[in-house]
This record gives sequence, structure tokens and C-alpha cells, in this order.
Amino acid sequence: MLAGSVFFYLTLMAHIRHMKHQQLQLKQTNVWNAYSLDTVHVPAMLAGEYSIAPGKMQDDMISGSDDVIADSANLAYLMQAHRLNNKTYIVTTYISAKEYRHLLIKVSIAEAIIFILLLVTIVIVNRRTSARLWTPFYSTMNAIRGYDIRQNKPLALETTTGTEEFDRLNRTLLDLIDHVDQAYRNQKQFTENASHELQTPLAIIRSKVELLSEGPGLNEDSAQLLQEIAEANERLSQMNKNLLLLTRIDNGQYPEVELIELSRSVEHLGNFFREYYENKISRTATTIQPNVHLMANPALIEILINNLLRNAYIHNIPDGWVDIQLSDKGLVIKNSGPAIDGDPERLFDRFRKGRVDNRTTGLGLALVKQITQLYKYDIQYTYREGVHTLSLSFA
Amino acid sequence: MKLLVVEDEPSLLNSITRYFQQEQFTCEGVSNFTDALQRMEDIIYDCIILDINLPGGSGLQLLKYLREDKKKDGVIIISARDSLDDKILGLNYGADDYLTKPFHLPELSARVKALLRRKYSDGSAAVDLKVLHIELASRTVTTQGQSIALSKIEYDLLLFLVTNKNRVVSRQAIAEHLYNGPSDQAPGPEFVYSHIKNLKRKLKEKGCPEIIQSVYGLGYKLVV
Repeated sequence: MLAGSVFFYLTLMAHIRHMKHQQLQLKQTNVWNAYSLDTVHVPAMLAGEYSIAPGKMQDDMISGSDDVIADSANLAYLMQAHRLNNKTYIVTTYISAKEYRHLLIKVSIAEAIIFILLLVTIVIVNRRTSARLWTPFYSTMNAIRGYDIRQNKPLALETTTGTEEFDRLNRTLLDLIDHVDQAYRNQKQFTENASHELQTPLAIIRSKVELLSEGPGLNEDSAQLLQEIAEANERLSQMNKNLLLLTRIDNGQYPEVELIELSRSVEHLGNFFREYYENKISRTATTIQPNVHLMANPALIEILINNLLRNAYIHNIPDGWVDIQLSDKGLVIKNSGPAIDGDPERLFDRFRKGRVDNRTTGLGLALVKQITQLYKYDIQYTYREGVHTLSLSFA
Repeated sequence: MKLLVVEDEPSLLNSITRYFQQEQFTCEGVSNFTDALQRMEDIIYDCIILDINLPGGSGLQLLKYLREDKKKDGVIIISARDSLDDKILGLNYGADDYLTKPFHLPELSARVKALLRRKYSDGSAAVDLKVLHIELASRTVTTQGQSIALSKIEYDLLLFLVTNKNRVVSRQAIAEHLYNGPSDQAPGPEFVYSHIKNLKRKLKEKGCPEIIQSVYGLGYKLVV
């Protein structure tokens, strides 16, 4: 547009120059014709119009090929040499340059206004159309941002947006998500199937060990070996069970929810753990607010409470204590215990174990995390001066 | 007592039938749907141990036929599928109990015996071992005429051992039996020892002879 303006200005200038020249030339011709016919009566000079003076000019000027044309203050003039009776006359014709300058300014202003209006219109129209044009693009972007592969929800993208390119983009994205989704589902299905298939051989090993341990040929040596096989097999079974649980929660296979009386569950499990570990942990304090209810899957809630409680008892010190508090705000479990190794942020990671402990699977707190994520519960862990605190809020 | 085990995995079927045969049960095993249907039509069993996934059909279908025939054989479902739905479905079809694989043989045995007790005892169930008498309804234990005060865990432990008398029961099996929750999240077996110790002490205090033995490191056995 700027280049256009410059070009327009230059063209205008050239036209004006050409017009001036034409007019001056016409006047020159008229003046000289009149003067050459009647040198006596035609005055040699008329102020602001022309002047004729005898003089010398170079030959090329006489030919008239390069006329002297210039603007002085308000006048434009043309000087040309003419011959009459072997005498050279210099004829200078004048015209007013004012009109032409005014014309130039007026045209330039008009042009500038047109250009500005055009610019504004273009910007406005452009914005309007691009807002409308890019709507599918932004809705696609928002849909992708809100997409979570773990939620098993298909990505909703329009494939008839009215713009060919966006339709193609959305179709490509849908294909991509489809493939990724398929791979993710296969992965989960594989884990579940693998865990499931592992159960049968594990059950066979267990039953054979149980039959063998009654065998008449058992001696202390073979009993020791059998015991080690049994323990390894039990750990494997437990790990497998927990992995299966994790994938099942992942796969959304616990959709049934019911109203659970949490007070009773916590009390029941609390009593069991207190009694089960009474030789290790002699002090258990329980404060349970009655009638705390929760809408959730009963099996999952049992696993959640179970794992938190068991953790409090297992990762404790000899003659330590456990404090269980349930209110309608949440469940807080405190226990004495040594500081955990490593990063507390990674406490809930899979296969992360505190101490070197061969009896745990390293999946208990991962299960807790999975369940809290499923129901959007908030879980916080803190450790201060020998006290572990796990706070679970059901908000 | 006549027992039928329907289980498609031959190795597991063999383990179960052998385990029960050692206890004076008449125990038969079949590994597919048609054989099972045939047996169930021909013979009345005291208890049927039924797997759900079978070649040729579903164990649940067998259960349905059985109940439609008005047969009252006790049925315990054993299944690798432990979702709540399957359990509820199984029990609605008329199963008496449901056990998730993998299970411990002493646990299965305890379930079978509990079922048989319920079936044949008309409410006044008691276990009498000469040196020990257990009233199941009131959960009281007496020895030589003296009652023994036991905690819930100790009572459950004693009953489990008594039910599996003269057999080795591993600590893991005991821990899982004691927990007895809807999920398989039993605590580790390392504290079973302390409960056994307490139980033995309480029995001894009331003059009961030493009937609970430790079998190397493998587990415990109640001998009478």
C-alpha cells in the first residue's frame, strides 16, 4: 500500500509536469507566432505571461530538444530559443504553478483518506472473518487440551467445519488419537490378561506346596526349602493381585457405587488391625465420628482404608503408637515411625519401598493413590519429629 | 460325605481332590461342562465345588440347572473372577459360598466344612474334640469344663485350626482367613506367630494339653 502510494504520487507528479510542459509549449508557440508576424505591435513582454529577449543560446537548445523548464516561486516557465531574420530570440513563457501544487496536495489528501479508510475496513473485515474462520481451530485446540487418555472418553472433533483444511486436520487428529487410544487400551488389557493368566499357575504352585507340606517324607531341610518357595510364591501372588487391582481401577471396572457407612468400616478395620498387631503396637487411639457416609465402591474404600491402616502399623517402631481420627471432613491417620528414605513426593509411586522390606509389595500406597485419584479425594502426607501423618479428605 | 469338584485346570483339580481324599471325603473330579452335568444328574452330592469358567459352558449355568431341578446340593463357587458382580450373581443363582482364586486348600476345606455344618446341624452346632469343646453359635470355648476367654482373632484362629485338624496350615492361609474381608488385602503373616503364642498360653493355663504344633517353618497343625 505504501509502495502504491509512492508510485501514485510519482505518477501524479509526472503527469503534472507533462501538463505544465504542454501548456507552456502551447503558449510558446502562440506567443512566437504572434510576435514573428508582427514584431512592432506585439509587446516584447507581458508580466506573468511571457518575455522575449534577443540573446544567444547553445545550438542544442535552439533545436528545442531540451527546453529549460523550471518552477520559480509561484510560476513555472519555459525558455526556448527561436530564430528570426538571423537573430536569436529567447522566448520565456510563464504559467502559474500554484494551481498545480494545490491540485497535487488535494489529490494526495484525497488519496490518503481513501487509503486510511481502506486500511481500517480491511483490518475490521479481516478480524471478523478470521474470528469466524478460526473458530473450528480454537475449538479443536480446546478439545485436545481437555483430552485425557486415562478417562476412556472419546475425543469429540467436528469433521464438517465448513473449512476443508480444518476438516482434514480434525480427521488426522482423530485418527492419531484413535491409534494412541488403541495402543493404550491394548497395553492395559495386556497387563490385566497377564495378571489374570498368572493366577492359575500361582494357584497350582500354592496348592502343591500345601500338599507337600503334609507329606510323610518331610524333614527339616526340605521343610525349609518348601517354606522359602511358599513365601516367594505368596509375595508373587500378592503383587499380582495388586497389579490386577491397579489395572482394573485404571480400566474403570469398579463402576458400582453405593452409600457406605464409613464410620463402621473404619471401626471394623481399625479393630482388626489393632488386635492383629497388638503384640507390636500396644497403643492405638481411635476417634470416630458416627454416621459419616460416602458414595463410593465398597471394595475400593475397604482397600483404601486397609492399606492406609496397614501402612501405619507396618512402618512403625517397636512399642509405637497409631492414632486414627475420622470426621465428616476426612480420615487422619498418625503413627510413630522412622523417617522415610528418599522423596516424600514419590511415596505413592509404584514399587517404591521405604526400608529394605521383603514382605511388602510396594504397591499398597500406589493403590491408595489410584483410588483417591478415581474419586478425586485429596491425600496429604507429612512427617515431623518421628510422626507420620496421612490426611485423606473426601471433599 | 460325597464331594464333586468341577475345575478345568487338571493340576489344580488334582490338588483339590487329593486334599479332600486325605480327609475321608469321597471326592470326584470332573473338568468340563458335560461331564459335570452328567454327574450332577446322576448323584446327589453333599457339596459341589464349582469353577465358573469351564470348557463347554459356564459353571453358573450348571448351578442354574441344579437349582431348577430342586436339588439341594451345597455349592461353593471357585472363580478367578473376583468382581463384586460375579459374586452377587453366583450367590443369587443359589450358591452357598464364593471363593476367589487363588485360594488356600485349608481355606476351601474350612468353607466346605462350614457349609456341611450349616446343612446338617440344625442350628445347635458344636465342635467336640474331647480336650476341647467349641459352641459355634455362642462362640465359647471350654476345656475340661472350664471356659477360655479368647479375643476375636484368637477364637477365629482356633476354629480355623480345629476345622483343619491334623493338617498343616500355613501362616499366610491363617492371616488371610483371619482378615476375611471382601478384598484380598490381608495383612502379612508375620504376626500370626504372636497370636498362636497367646492362644497356646491361654489353652495351657486352663489345663488343655499341647495340641497346637509348629511344623518346621511351614505353619501350624492342631493334633488330636
